Amino acid sequence: MKKQTWILSMAVLLAAFAFATRPANTFAATPDDKSASEVAVKIDNFSFSPATITVPAGTTVRWTNHDDIPHTVVSDDKTFKSKVLDTDEQFTYTFTKPGTYNYFCSIHPKMTANVVVQ
Amino acid sequence: MNEKNRHESVKSAVSDEILHDHNHDGIDRRGFLKCMAWAGTGAFCVIKGGVLKSYSLSGLPFIGGHEHKGDLTFVQISDSHMGFDKAANPDVVGTLKAAVEKVNALPAAPAFMLHTGDISHLSKSGEFDTVDQLLKAASTKDIFFVPGEHDVLNDDGKQYLERYGKGTQGSGWYSFDKNGVHFVGLVNVLNLKAGGLGSLGGEQLEWLEKDVKHLSKSTPIVVFAHIPLWSVYPEWGWGTDDSAQALSYLKKFGSVTVLNGHIHQTMQKVEGNITFHTAASTAFPQPKPGQAPSPGPMKVPEDQLRTLLGVTNVTSVRGKHPLAVIDENLV
Repeated sequence: MKKQTWILSMAVLLAAFAFATRPANTFAATPDDKSASEVAVKIDNFSFSPATITVPAGTTVRWTNHDDIPHTVVSDDKTFKSKVLDTDEQFTYTFTKPGTYNYFCSIHPKMTANVVVQ
Repeated sequence: MNEKNRHESVKSAVSDEILHDHNHDGIDRRGFLKCMAWAGTGAFCVIKGGVLKSYSLSGLPFIGGHEHKGDLTFVQISDSHMGFDKAANPDVVGTLKAAVEKVNALPAAPAFMLHTGDISHLSKSGEFDTVDQLLKAASTKDIFFVPGEHDVLNDDGKQYLERYGKGTQGSGWYSFDKNGVHFVGLVNVLNLKAGGLGSLGGEQLEWLEKDVKHLSKSTPIVVFAHIPLWSVYPEWGWGTDDSAQALSYLKKFGSVTVLNGHIHQTMQKVEGNITFHTAASTAFPQPKPGQAPSPGPMKVPEDQLRTLLGVTNVTSVRGKHPLAVIDENLV
C-alpha cells in the first residue's frame, strides 16, 4: 500500500514536471481544437527566432513582430503569405502536410528561416 | 537593440567623424571615399571633379558661391515614413515639415524635388495623403518619386503606381531631362527574393540599357532609386543584387551621380565616373553599418534627433562635372 502511494505520487510528480517543462506556447491551442498545438516564433531585431522549428503535422505556428519596423512572413513557394505585420501584430499558419517550409520577410529578404513539419 | 547599444552607436557616430585629411588635394578616385556627414558634427560634403571636400557648417557663408550656384539645383528628400510613431521619432509630421522649411529657406527655389522612397510607413492611403499635403508647402511643386519597400506593401505597388506612377514604365521606372541632365528613376523594391537584396529585374534593366544608349557621353546622368545601388552593407540588405549590370550601361558617361535613400544616413563613395550618395531620412536615423544588432530605428536623445535628419541639395553646373552634393540637417 505504502509502495503504491509512493509510485502514484512519483507518477503525479513526473506528470507535473513534464507539464511544467513543456513550452508554454504548446498550450495555446484554441479550445475547440484540443488536438492542435501551437508554437511561437518571434520576429525581433530583423530575424526570426528560432530560425528553425521542427513540429508535428497539425501544428499552428504563430509569428509575432516585436520590431519597430513592419515585417512579413512569406514562404519561398508562396504556400503561405502574411499581410504586413506592424509592431506587435501576429500571423498564424497551420501546417498540415509534412515537409520543410522555407520562408522569409518579403520586405527584408535577408531575413530567412524555416519550419520542418514531421 | 537595447538602449545602451543605441546610445553607444550614436556616441560613436558623433565622435567618429570621418573627415578627411585636408592637406590632401586629391583623394584617390578609385579608392573608397566615404563621408559620413553626420550633421551633428556640423559637417557637410561637396563633391566636385571626383574629389570630395568637407566643410564645417560655420564655414558655410564662405563657400556659398559657386557650390550653391549652377544651371540646375534640385533637392532630394527621402524616407519620410509617414505613419511611424515609435520612440525613435513620434513626430514624423513635424520633421517632414522642418525638411520642407529647410528647402524653402534655400537662397533660390530648387527646380524640383526627388523623393527617394519610403514616403509612407505602411502604404496606407492616409499616410500618402499626409505627405502630399505637407509637400504642397514646398517652394517647388515639381516632385519626382520612386517607391521604397514601405510604399508597396500588400499590393505589389498598385496604389503607389496609381498615385505617383502616371506615365512611368513597368512598376514605376522612368527618365526625364532637365537642363541637359538626364535623370533616371529606378524601382528596386519589388519581387525581392529570399536571402537576396534589392532587385531591378530583367525588364527594367533592358529598358535602362535602351534609355541611355543614344545619349552622348558628355550628358550628365543622375540615377535615383530607394535601396542603394552599391554594396553598402549586404548583411543588412543594403545593396541591390543586379545593380552592377545597371551601372555597366552607364560606364561610358563622364559624370554619373547615383542617389539613394533607405539607410537613413548620409554616405558617399566615388568609383570611377560614378558618385554614389545616400540621403538622410526626414523621419528617423538608423545605425552605422554593423554597429548595432539590426538596422532598426535608432533612438537618440531628443535634442540630437534633428541633427541626424536632413535634406540633400544638388547642383549641376553645365560643363563642370560632376554634380555638387550638399547634405544639410534639419537644425
